[in-house]
Amino acid sequence: MQRVPSGTARRSHDHPRRGRTAVAQARLILLIMVNVAQLWILAATVEAALAHRLSALLPLVIASAICFVVTLTLIFWWRPASPHYTSSGYLKQ
Amino acid sequence: MSEKQRTDQVIERVLSDEADVREATAPHQADFPYDRDAEAQVTRREFCNFLGLTSAALFVGATAFAGNAVLQAQREETFAPARIIGAEALKPGTSLNFRYPTARDTAILVRLLDGTYQAFGQKCSHLSCPVYFAREQQRLECPCHEGAFDARTGTVLHGPPPRPLDVVQLELRSNGEIWAVGRNPGSEERLI
Repeated sequence: MQRVPSGTARRSHDHPRRGRTAVAQARLILLIMVNVAQLWILAATVEAALAHRLSALLPLVIASAICFVVTLTLIFWWRPASPHYTSSGYLKQ
Repeated sequence: MSEKQRTDQVIERVLSDEADVREATAPHQADFPYDRDAEAQVTRREFCNFLGLTSAALFVGATAFAGNAVLQAQREETFAPARIIGAEALKPGTSLNFRYPTARDTAILVRLLDGTYQAFGQKCSHLSCPVYFAREQQRLECPCHEGAFDARTGTVLHGPPPRPLDVVQLELRSNGEIWAVGRNPGSEERLI
């Protein structure tokens, strides 16, 4: 693979606008779904805490942590896919 | 006004998405002081960041609730004997609320129809609502989700509570006074 000059890559990435918008929308929807799941987990945690069901608390906290990590991944490490370039900017053969 | 200007106005009115939008009322505008142009300035990145912050807040909230519950359960409680004031005058088939072992721990003393005394923690084992003594049925009931407990043993009769009520140990002293001397959890399930 060969590294493409940044200007060329930018032009190419700007071209398929419709596809990128769809992927960005999908990312937003995923983020909202994770938020809703986390809200449900918080409600279950409150219920378990009030009922003193302590054995259920650790799995719920771990599930919430996983959701948080997924959210961070979607926000910071996710990149839109391109048919011509890899996520790190290399030209696909 | 020229023909071209009139045509432009018509085109603008047709193409604009503001045509069917009502004017905001004054109270609404005071509560939400943003016009439509300002609302449209929320970028996708800002919304993503907002969702990220929401996720962080939900995670911190869940961790805080769980941590607080575990700390409360591990707290070593001391049970100094305490006299239940007014218990001697309690008539059969009635109840009396008191606090034991601390002022934050509400409890309920029940005098059954046969004259014996029973005392329980007042927090329902489902979601900690305070239970009350239902005289007609002679049982303890939770008003939140219609759970019911046996007034003699504190065990669950029906409803969502997962375990019995906490039992307050009583001691009848020689001068007829009722003293609370201990408090046991309804089951060992609450312990880690």
